[in-house]
Amino acid sequence: MKNYIIKRLAQLIPIILGLTFLTFALLYISPGDPAQKKLIAQGVATTTEVLEKTREEMGLNQPFIKQYADWLVNLLHGDMGISYKDGTPVAQKLEKGIKYTFILATSAFVLSIIISIPLGMYTAVRKNYFSDYVIQFLCFAGNAIPNFLLAIILIYYFCIRMKIFPVIAKGTIQGLFLPTLALSLPLISRFIRQIRVAAIEQLGKDYVKGARARGIKENYIIIYNVLRNSMISIITVLGLSIGTLMGGSVVIESIFMWPGIGKLVMDSITARDYPVIQGFVIIMAIIYVVVNLVIDICYHFLDPRIKE
Amino acid sequence: MKKSLIAILAMFLVIVTAFSGCGNNTDNSKELNEKILKTSESFVLETLNPHLDYQGWYTSIYGLTEALFVMNDKSSIEPLLAESAESDGNIWTIKIKKDISFSNGNKITSDIVIRNLQDTGKINSRFAYLTECIYEKIDDNTFTITTDDIYPTLLNDLASPELAIVDLDNSGDMSTELVATGPFVVSSFEPGGTIKVVKNENYWNGEVKLDGAEFYYMPEPDTSLMAMQNGEIDSYASVTADAAEIYAKAPDTYKLVTIPATRLQFYILNENRIDSSIRKAINLTIDSKAIEKYLNGTVSSTVGPFSSTTAYGKVTKDAIDTKAAKALLEKDGYVLNTDGYYEKDGKILTLNLAYYAARSLDTLATLMQEQLKDIGIKVALTCEEDPDGTYIATGDFDIALYCMIADKACDPYYFVSCTLAEGAPYNCGGFSNSETQTLIDKLKVETNSDKRAELANQIVQIAIDEDAFGYVALFNKTTVMKTGITNVSENCPFDFYFLNANTDMQ
Repeated sequence: MKNYIIKRLAQLIPIILGLTFLTFALLYISPGDPAQKKLIAQGVATTTEVLEKTREEMGLNQPFIKQYADWLVNLLHGDMGISYKDGTPVAQKLEKGIKYTFILATSAFVLSIIISIPLGMYTAVRKNYFSDYVIQFLCFAGNAIPNFLLAIILIYYFCIRMKIFPVIAKGTIQGLFLPTLALSLPLISRFIRQIRVAAIEQLGKDYVKGARARGIKENYIIIYNVLRNSMISIITVLGLSIGTLMGGSVVIESIFMWPGIGKLVMDSITARDYPVIQGFVIIMAIIYVVVNLVIDICYHFLDPRIKE
Repeated sequence: MKKSLIAILAMFLVIVTAFSGCGNNTDNSKELNEKILKTSESFVLETLNPHLDYQGWYTSIYGLTEALFVMNDKSSIEPLLAESAESDGNIWTIKIKKDISFSNGNKITSDIVIRNLQDTGKINSRFAYLTECIYEKIDDNTFTITTDDIYPTLLNDLASPELAIVDLDNSGDMSTELVATGPFVVSSFEPGGTIKVVKNENYWNGEVKLDGAEFYYMPEPDTSLMAMQNGEIDSYASVTADAAEIYAKAPDTYKLVTIPATRLQFYILNENRIDSSIRKAINLTIDSKAIEKYLNGTVSSTVGPFSSTTAYGKVTKDAIDTKAAKALLEKDGYVLNTDGYYEKDGKILTLNLAYYAARSLDTLATLMQEQLKDIGIKVALTCEEDPDGTYIATGDFDIALYCMIADKACDPYYFVSCTLAEGAPYNCGGFSNSETQTLIDKLKVETNSDKRAELANQIVQIAIDEDAFGYVALFNKTTVMKTGITNVSENCPFDFYFLNANTDMQ
């Protein structure tokens, strides 16, 4: 296992390098000039001379490979660069936002697991019963409602009508509840359906029939056999959702004023703020690959037949 | 399994109850007695340095900083920290008010003002020329600025919030601290988040009515609306049309003020690609009143680039006349085909309209397409993400939409020189007129404000008469206040004023 983990961590390096290169290249070829955007943001008339001077100051007139290599070398020295937009160090800009995004993503993830696993198993056991249809209907609705609409509905009911929560979240524990709910409801809807399918498949297998024939209690079979054997596909789905949670909460963060990283990244993409985007990509890549590594390790523990 | 369902529901209720009890949702008695204005803003600051980029706009909104001059509700300049100013050729003599001080009690002197101007020049490229000026201190309250050439709009520049006067020796690097002259001082600042300010007890210009204010970062307009409805904020500017409609239905609870501001929606007609008769036909067709109506209170139709209430906004244009527009096309040899489009030599009259999807320009593009279709001109829309890097830079369009602040500092020169002068970055549709250029050169050095307005009106009128541009609408500044809130600069067309010493709440 130790060797496996070291091997997987080593594989992380080319993956991250590849990702950063790809992002850098995509930004480089996309329309829009960071120097021009910077000048326009500053209200400076973009004459050719001023533009050329600004490009030179920002290092944008260097060949693509040189720009990428410079960025990479600085990164290896712990320097993520300076934001083109406002001159703030990238690490400083990302540090605070990442923390809050991580808190939000984790709480949404935990809430999703707590609710979706029991409900998923329940709908599998009660397949085609009325309660199954009701939950399935709610899951379809949960998947279909766009999260910005869901967020506004939640604010309207919880804050304005019921006055349980304030609209202004201020990054507090109290303010965490509604964004967590808004982020996790679509996930719960998706998870329940996927867990249900995985559990139904297991419930039809011979070992379940055998266990029932031997008089083992239904709850024991469901929890210790069916759930455990369904976990491989469940964990895969859960793992994939981490990336969505970390990178896809822009709208939710904006609506709830959660001080995460989403808005910062969107603004940086619009402003062609390469250093900030690259910093974000590298952090996300590390999180994503580490989560996948943890999932692979979980596979091994859940089913020892799965080889390293 | 039913038990687990019940357990989940019970857990959910427990979580809701626990979370709702976690926060500090009640005001303490001290806060109840204090007058703290809570508001939302759709922008966010990383540092408090007013001299950087446009940051002075925001420190001015927060009531922290002031400049030597101020732009008033009638779009004219008046002294604020300055007492008076006189010019003699390229030398300006500025007198500062006597016995005025920063929030820490330090006196404002000529030295500190000169240092502030030089500091802004060094770090803000829009004011880079200030590093080349020669400054001379006459006494503690008087100094001169000598510019290379005659610079009639220097006072307008000195009214820019970026040229705020700050106690440079006691503000650190201005990342989180700021000692300035405004009616409020920072009590807490979270870079990228909320800023709280309290009354400046040493304010030089009289009593400050509020005890403090809190500015929350709310990028989503719906959040501001709901926070206002929930009573968590008291006032905010940049109200959307939908929200304004809601507030307007409750006049006892909210006061809504809408005025035309300075951000202009306009189109450029490419003289290199479309004939004068077609340009004229377009301008006779585009109905800015109808556009104003459709955009539901967010804009006010305009004739020229500046508000008609200003001295330099007195221009005229032909009334909408689609029959005359059609007649012009027909005179030019175009014939209406069975599909309702004009064509000549078998080719349908098709124009390319380039736009970008911001500041309602996408809606404007569609509306213009519809209006032009009604007179038989086919319009193909091209949406670009980056107008400055594409159609503005290349001139590859028949009609180009753009939106910019036309009146930055109570003077027409910025907009005129940016859009109508030879080689200007936004003169990308081939407009070239020797008379205009002569007038622009005169405007550059004219010091009399009445004559400046007259020159600007002549210049813009030529552009309108030549059908080089179409000025559609000025964005409105809409401010909402709870009843009892007064003086949040709601009647000032400039976005960079909000909190001031007279802001009050019942």
